[in-house]
Amino acid sequence: MTTPSFAAIRDKVRAAEPLTLEDGVALFHHPNLLEVGALANEVRERLHGDRTYFNRNLHINATNVCEASCMFCSFARLEPGKPGAYTMSHDEAWGKLRARVAADDPITEIHIVNGLHPGLPFDYYTELLAGLKRIQPSIHLKAFTAVEIFYFAKKFGMPIADVIAKLRAAGLDSLPGGGAEIFAPRVRRKICDDKCTADEWLEVHRVAHRMGLRSNCTMLYGTIETVEERVDHLLRLRALQDETGGFQTFIALAFHPDNNSLMKLPAPTGVEDLRTYAVARLMLHNIPHIKAYWIMLGIKTAQTALWFGADDLDGTVQEEKIYHMAGAETPQAMSPAEIVRIIRQAGRTPVERDTLYNVVAEGAALGPDKPYRRDVRRSLEVVS
Amino acid sequence: MSKLRVAAVSFLNARPITHGLERGLGEDRIELSFDLPARCADRLERGEIDLGLVPTASYAAMAGELRIVPGIAIAGFGPVRTVLLVGEVPWTEMREIALDGASRSSAMMLRLLTRERGLAPRFREVPHDDVLAAARGTTGALVIGDAGFAAADRYPHVVDLGQAWCETTGLPFVNAVWAGRPGAVGPAEVALLQQSLAQGLAARGAIARAFAEAQGGDPAVYEAYLTRNIRYTLGAEELSGLSALFDRARAAGLITRAVRPRLYESPKPAAPARSTAPRSVDALLADAAGGGRLAPDDALRLYADAPTLELGAAADQRRRALHPDDVVTYIIDRNVNYTNVCVTRCKFCNFYRPPTNKTDGYVLTREQLAQKFQETVDLGGVQILLQGGLNPKLPIGWYEDLFRWMKANFPLAIHGLSPEEVRYIAELEGMSLREVIERLIAAGLDSIPGGGAEILDDEIRYKISPLKCSTDTWLDVMREAHGLGLRTTATMVFGFGEEPRHIVSHFERLRALQDETAGFTAFICWPFQAEGTRLKLHDDTTAMRYLRIFALARLYLDNFPSLQVSWPTMGPEVGQVGLRFGGNDFGSAMIEENVVSQAGAIFKLGAPDIERYIRAAGFQPRRRNMRYERLAAA
Repeated sequence: MTTPSFAAIRDKVRAAEPLTLEDGVALFHHPNLLEVGALANEVRERLHGDRTYFNRNLHINATNVCEASCMFCSFARLEPGKPGAYTMSHDEAWGKLRARVAADDPITEIHIVNGLHPGLPFDYYTELLAGLKRIQPSIHLKAFTAVEIFYFAKKFGMPIADVIAKLRAAGLDSLPGGGAEIFAPRVRRKICDDKCTADEWLEVHRVAHRMGLRSNCTMLYGTIETVEERVDHLLRLRALQDETGGFQTFIALAFHPDNNSLMKLPAPTGVEDLRTYAVARLMLHNIPHIKAYWIMLGIKTAQTALWFGADDLDGTVQEEKIYHMAGAETPQAMSPAEIVRIIRQAGRTPVERDTLYNVVAEGAALGPDKPYRRDVRRSLEVVS
Repeated sequence: MSKLRVAAVSFLNARPITHGLERGLGEDRIELSFDLPARCADRLERGEIDLGLVPTASYAAMAGELRIVPGIAIAGFGPVRTVLLVGEVPWTEMREIALDGASRSSAMMLRLLTRERGLAPRFREVPHDDVLAAARGTTGALVIGDAGFAAADRYPHVVDLGQAWCETTGLPFVNAVWAGRPGAVGPAEVALLQQSLAQGLAARGAIARAFAEAQGGDPAVYEAYLTRNIRYTLGAEELSGLSALFDRARAAGLITRAVRPRLYESPKPAAPARSTAPRSVDALLADAAGGGRLAPDDALRLYADAPTLELGAAADQRRRALHPDDVVTYIIDRNVNYTNVCVTRCKFCNFYRPPTNKTDGYVLTREQLAQKFQETVDLGGVQILLQGGLNPKLPIGWYEDLFRWMKANFPLAIHGLSPEEVRYIAELEGMSLREVIERLIAAGLDSIPGGGAEILDDEIRYKISPLKCSTDTWLDVMREAHGLGLRTTATMVFGFGEEPRHIVSHFERLRALQDETAGFTAFICWPFQAEGTRLKLHDDTTAMRYLRIFALARLYLDNFPSLQVSWPTMGPEVGQVGLRFGGNDFGSAMIEENVVSQAGAIFKLGAPDIERYIRAAGFQPRRRNMRYERLAAA
């Protein structure tokens, strides 16, 4: 097998031809990072121009009790009652939304992802969703990874379609993309052996898409996977997208090593992050959006990624727990004004979206476009 | 006015240097004669000539009494082909080496290189024409000059010492320079000598043909030698190489005193010609990436309009041309802030205490310092970055005692006292900048850090730190330091609400001084860290602006050898990405830093982390010292 040249790959990208496994691997090995970035940026600008999306959202991680024992996870506590283990009552979870409403914070989405709790009944989940909708009927509920849906199906003895239908009746609007990790069985066996398989993960999304739900997809990188396994993962996502067209956004998730069983591994570095985003943009020609999840990348790298293929920064995110328990040093929330500012300072155009990428606000509605003050006298407000 | 008596070498590699003079350039002021390199030095020493093209080793022997003509050298970076060790056995088996008496620099280099490899051959000096005959059995011979072309094919074992030096130090080797007594040569003569070289560089083809006609051989081979093997500039990297040679020679006992390359004053460079037709961003980027010089307007244009990744790619291309071996260097040192008492009260500083503060103000004691220095040595550190506030209670004697005590007790270089501190000591003592620096050098100062530059534009400086030195003073300190043979870095802090033109003016001032002195080793910039200071700014200090400014700096500062990324302020991720936006140095594995960390930057990395980041960006990590000389892996 010969390695495809960068020029040949560039020609394919410009002709909108799908890239192959060999192309993807070659892009991971190409010595000139900025060339790969610039090519990904071409695709990004072809699809979205300078537009860069974010939303106002709230994260709820209702429980960290989990039957699975994934080596990369710092969040899960295996049994109820163990130190650090928690399960929110409905009131506690609902209280988070009530607090946002009381603060007049116009959030449009709640992102709900939890551990695989062996003791909670199915109606804990349906009631969780229904209660949130009662507080704010217009809120979009993006809830439960495919791993959770598959767990519910097994545990409560229902087909996947029934699980989704029941959750949907209670208020579910779309699925988040988590839990995909790396599809390669070799890696899954080692780092998340008791999670659903790649085929099972993909089947949940296939069923959801057929029922008319949209979803996101992810890849966890930086543990023990090879470059080939990363590209293979992207290709499997792309194949399902060819079939259903239901994915909106791809998010590459960097492994964070603190407080988990893979602590000896170093976290991926900035250059690797940017390259992974760029290669994902180039491989996933049929998935509209690539999200630089700032909570995980850090604000600086996430901003830089807006020139390496990413067109979305996720949202204001409040109360993120999963990455912070793995050592993330980012703040737990950014204000919309801050997000707008860093997007503009990157030379891009901010667009506030809802979960389904309808425009909520753009242009002057997001505040005056003054990236930074150029007048020396006015900018030096010295507090003595 | 009597003519300047000048002696040069007649070897092929010196012809470009004398080319213009030989053709009558400045003949009313300069009288040119030819001799062997070592003889040029002897005649200079006896006062028979005013200026000689002398071996750098001869300069070292007469150091203190000589000055070097800036910008001109016979140097090499990689194989030079005319400084060879030849023999019938490999150099590890040579018991004796015959030295060519004609050159002392090559002999010094050979002694140092054998010593570094643990070899101890006997050295015997023989006349220039008898050297080759001496290479028999376990006796090798050092062949220099044009004899090297023929010798290379006649012996089974040949070591190109230029190549060996470059592999050992990561720096160029400087064989010969124009040197003379202080005051013998003024800026006008320097300009003539530089012009003579410029004409010679343009005529290398003709020089090679003439040489082939006279001596036989292939003119193409000679032209390649003059074009690819020999470097004729005495720029910042060559000065680093020269300092490395002197320091190693001193450590080996080959010279007895500390020697620094001290230069004659340069002619003021002419302002770059303004192109009338504005060029496209693409054309500007292609030009700058290829080493072309940007005018201030070009830089403003790129700052405003160049797409970020294209700006980065051009800087990356430039970095590759300057550092083609894909090595990224870093240093292990410790930042010691000897006092936090300071009279300047800069609004952006979170660290200082005014002299009136009786509770938190400190001056580190010898015990505290000794502990920090010893820890630094134990952790593999090679240098102390020693900076502090402007403390009215510390006279120059305090610094001199401190430096002498440090040098007597710890094997650490002193990278110390930013221009502001030097200026303040001069003011406190009523001394000139030059006097202060001379005394500090005598006490052990090795180099000056480029801090306190902030933005080298008085409009901005006055707003943020009205009591700090002006742009001119900052540059004066650096000019004096470079003139006295010290190397320094240069910095810039942005994010004070400055406009792009202030940033470009900062670059321009640095580049102009570097044209004059070549004394800067590296440029480092970072955004202002506002947290907790009295300066409430709303300026753009994001990663994207940092990367754009950094890439632009790589393109604008075409005469700066190194650009250092600032991971302590930007974080290791963006610092690492900076290596793809023009950076070739990862700074310091820092053991301690107080000033920036008091204003919110909290990143800490050890040497293994730094090496991991460098490798993950696709580079080979190497440790260095302040002169960017590469050190053996620990």
